[in-house]
Amino acid sequence: MSGQDPSTGVARYLVSRAARKAPPGLSARLEEEWLADLMARQGAFSRLRFGLGCCWATRVIAREFGAVAATAGRSASGQRLLVAYGGGYDFSRFSRRTVALIVIVFLHVAAFYAYLTGATRRIVDGAFPPINGAVLVDHRTLQKPARLPPPKLMTPTFDGLPTPRIPVDLPLDPKTITLTHSALPHVPPIPLQDSKPVRRVVGGPGAGFPDTEDYYPPPARRLGEAGAAAIRVCVDPNGRLTADPEIVQSSGIAQLDGGALRLAKAGSGHYRPTMENGQPVSSCYAFRVRFRLENQ
Amino acid sequence: MGKRDDVRISLQTLRALEAFLENPSDELSGADVQKRSGLASGTLYPILLRLESAGWFVSRWEAIDPVSAGRPRRRLYRLTPSGLARASEIFASFGRGVPA
Repeated sequence: MSGQDPSTGVARYLVSRAARKAPPGLSARLEEEWLADLMARQGAFSRLRFGLGCCWATRVIAREFGAVAATAGRSASGQRLLVAYGGGYDFSRFSRRTVALIVIVFLHVAAFYAYLTGATRRIVDGAFPPINGAVLVDHRTLQKPARLPPPKLMTPTFDGLPTPRIPVDLPLDPKTITLTHSALPHVPPIPLQDSKPVRRVVGGPGAGFPDTEDYYPPPARRLGEAGAAAIRVCVDPNGRLTADPEIVQSSGIAQLDGGALRLAKAGSGHYRPTMENGQPVSSCYAFRVRFRLENQ
Repeated sequence: MGKRDDVRISLQTLRALEAFLENPSDELSGADVQKRSGLASGTLYPILLRLESAGWFVSRWEAIDPVSAGRPRRRLYRLTPSGLARASEIFASFGRGVPA
């Protein structure tokens, strides 16, 4: 057919292809019948839909009539109806679509059941071994430092030491003694107000000084270590450190001493300077940093 | 003959039958039935074959000359007396009645 539009060609192809897949006894009849009915339809879309419908019809017909096809006699029109409609035709209880749907539903139910019962967790745990965490215990805290025995002080004895001889009869050298009382210069007396005692207020951590809790070493906190360390700092009149702070009395725990030193360094600029007669001066002084657990 | 008389009566089957019951003596092609019933081709043709195998329909080729008619011959279906009786019973059970 030379003047047909492409959609009609496609529809004819679909119809012919569908009819060829029908049971052999029905194939020729269905092709002629469907092609005639196709030409009775108007519109490209309608014909394409008809062709697709024939494809589906072939599947149904093949399922119902395909297994046993034999000459079953002539119909009233004299044509052979090649379908023996016995009980032996291949009629699946479920179509493939139904089976696929059942399988999908089953998989969903199985997955949901596995999720509810924790089977997925077991599968994941089987695939990936769990990470075993262990808390490392610092045994230093378990061993209390042994008390040192009191020192044995030895009393020094001076028995047997030679008695020093101090010569008192030294010859006078006339060259060395030239001054006389009358030759001494006059030294004015020091006024009493200059000897007034200095009023000194030792400094310490001032406003804005960091919080001790922020410098509590986490390992020491975890191990329950607490204590106090004395720090010596040198501070200028502006409250800034002029030298590195140093430990003058250890807490007995190196981590706490380190935390105290870091705190002292971080506090530079926030120290209260030592005041002498109301004036800030550079000075060095010591103060204690106490690390205390919350429940203590 | 091996025909199966037990036809599954679905809603689509009823619609196909209804197209014939408008005038039981008419011979209709698949295109005509489709036009009257509104069924899709994928549904209609298996029903026609099923009812024909069950003895409700008979079919024949249209007696025309395709060259002079300018179109291919069609397959025409017609209700058999037994098919008409069975269809009438079914519709009567629904209270629909059958056209005279």
